[in-house]
Amino acid sequence: MVLTLVVVLALSVSCAPKAAAPTPTPTPLPGPSEILLGTALPITGAEARPGLYFKTAYELAIKEVNEQGGIYVKEYDRKLPVRLILYDDKTDPTTSVSLYERLITEDKVHALLGGYSTTLVFAHTVVPEKYGIPYVNGGGASTTIYDRGFKWIFCTLASIKKLALTTMDWLIVQQDAGKLPKPLKIGLVWENTAHGKDYQAGVREKTEANPDRFEIVLDEPFELHATDFVPLLTKLKAAKADALLSDAHLEDYILMHRQYTEMGLYHQVVTYGARGPEKEAREALGDAVHYVLGCSWWSPKLPYHQVAEFVKKYEEAYKAEGLTATSWYPALGYETARTLFKAIENAGSLDPEKIRQALVNMNMTGSIVVGQRVYFMENGQIDNPYVMTQNMPDGSVIIMHPPDAVTGEAVVPIPPK
Amino acid sequence: LIATDILTITINAILVGGLYATMSYGLALIYGVMKIINLAHAGLMMLGAYVTFWLFRAFGLNPLLAPLVVVPLFFLGGMALQGSLVRRVMKAPPISSLLLLFGVWLILQNVAYLIWTGDTRSILTPYTYASVQVGGISISVIRSIVFLVAVLSLFLLQQFLTRTYVGKAIRAIAQDSEATKLVGVNVGRISMIAFGLGVALASLAGSLMSLLYAFNPDFGRTHLLKSFCIIVLGGLESFVGVAMGALLLALAEAWSVMVMKPALQDLISFVVLVVVLVVMPGGLAGLVRRQ
Repeated sequence: MVLTLVVVLALSVSCAPKAAAPTPTPTPLPGPSEILLGTALPITGAEARPGLYFKTAYELAIKEVNEQGGIYVKEYDRKLPVRLILYDDKTDPTTSVSLYERLITEDKVHALLGGYSTTLVFAHTVVPEKYGIPYVNGGGASTTIYDRGFKWIFCTLASIKKLALTTMDWLIVQQDAGKLPKPLKIGLVWENTAHGKDYQAGVREKTEANPDRFEIVLDEPFELHATDFVPLLTKLKAAKADALLSDAHLEDYILMHRQYTEMGLYHQVVTYGARGPEKEAREALGDAVHYVLGCSWWSPKLPYHQVAEFVKKYEEAYKAEGLTATSWYPALGYETARTLFKAIENAGSLDPEKIRQALVNMNMTGSIVVGQRVYFMENGQIDNPYVMTQNMPDGSVIIMHPPDAVTGEAVVPIPPK
Repeated sequence: LIATDILTITINAILVGGLYATMSYGLALIYGVMKIINLAHAGLMMLGAYVTFWLFRAFGLNPLLAPLVVVPLFFLGGMALQGSLVRRVMKAPPISSLLLLFGVWLILQNVAYLIWTGDTRSILTPYTYASVQVGGISISVIRSIVFLVAVLSLFLLQQFLTRTYVGKAIRAIAQDSEATKLVGVNVGRISMIAFGLGVALASLAGSLMSLLYAFNPDFGRTHLLKSFCIIVLGGLESFVGVAMGALLLALAEAWSVMVMKPALQDLISFVVLVVVLVVMPGGLAGLVRRQ
């Protein structure tokens, strides 16, 4: 019996096809087949346009990383492709909150990409904080979001307060160059939102620290989507300010500056916070937009080679949709996604706490953001410089700040018409 | 503020009152005749603005002449909307018409997103910044034109409602629909015309507003809320009352800025709404009638 068994085994071995010599291939470590990310964006509703930019930017970043095989995760010793689950929050904070809840509890995502607009980000960031899921956004900059002591929320947009501080620092440089008077009388008008309050806080802080340089002669909030600015502008006129510092959304900027021009007002410096160089503003305001200063998170004119490369690939990718990289939305969306990828790679794991720790220690150089580096402060928000621009009469936009990106000299004071 | 500043604010408020009146006539007409709140009013104003923008961009049509095309177009569209959808819910509880017209508003918004995208649009003309200086006061030419259109609309509406058969029938339906039917008026047809007229007036407002404001498919929400306040203040069914209400609200908002934060301007509208509903439910028109 034993002999028969030996013969059968011998025959079976000799008749079997010649197999390759066994090599010591490592068994793949068990783990997920993909990295699941989630986001809820305003694809419809009032913020549909920025929402579209963020969507396309996220998709471009994911396409790029997947073309390279995905993100290398050390824990599994292999690259994992990225898949994004995207929902439409309809520009509604309540919907946004429930969708982030769904992404975490039902879709079981590993990490989250953020939504857009301060109001929505403020509302839905309580969800990842509650469940302990890493969340990175480039769409909500107000410090009210980050000053709540949250641990899981990160942002690639510097604060609105910093926007105001940057503007004020730039005004100091102009004063020292003898271009603006000391003290500079400021007419400060701001939209009555968390965004506007942050801006006001920055201007006030700098004014209180420099009473010899600045004097606020008017400090008035206005309602978002106002129907008429004449009463407010009449108060501004009566205040006899040297500079108009306003923080407004695009529609309010257009209406306010139209009425400002209609009333024949003049100030040595005019800025509408983050607004200023938009194509829509030029179309709506015509020549009145000349010399308006803008202070933004990003500009396609930044003289970094990686910015030019990003603009080229984004516009090529979405040529059919007619999307351009002239605004900061796609740039910050793209960089937000890349920051999260980098954090996952640095963490070497899909463990939420390890990804969070990698975000805390983030130091991504060669970035397309102003200052070319992504890093986060203790409150989770980046603290990189703003880019300050001025609209020139020939239709161009020059960069006046930060020093490593200057493309032209500012015209200060604005020439009277 | 000196006297010139106060006068500037007051004159501008009167001009804004003209705009407020124009955007409220349509809402008042439809409520008066059919006792339904046209929640699609904001969407229709938005669409009126976009069609004006499109006529301006595609055909170079002067936006001041655009209402000559926009208003008849929307009148027909309004009649079709009433005949096909609104008619079906007229006898239903008010919530049905509210939901239906809210749905229409959402559809209009999404159609606008599809056609014109969510980009902010505006119309810039050689007269956008035109203003007249009178004794140190700057008066906007466009806002003055909008005011004149509001006055002209009020005059024509009054003439139409008091001098024509259809106009008298509309007033009769507003007073007593059943009695009007008994005397042989085709209430269905007249309601359709009234709804078309209300939609046409919304489009007129939107067309004029495109000259003043930047807009996107979400445009009109703030204006709709103000229109509600105005028609309640004016007395819901009276156009003279609506004009008076619009003027009063615009003045109250503007003058409030002299003593309060401009951010509280909208508060004025809603305080007015609550006070009028509680103290004088008939609005200004009711107050005048009682006198």
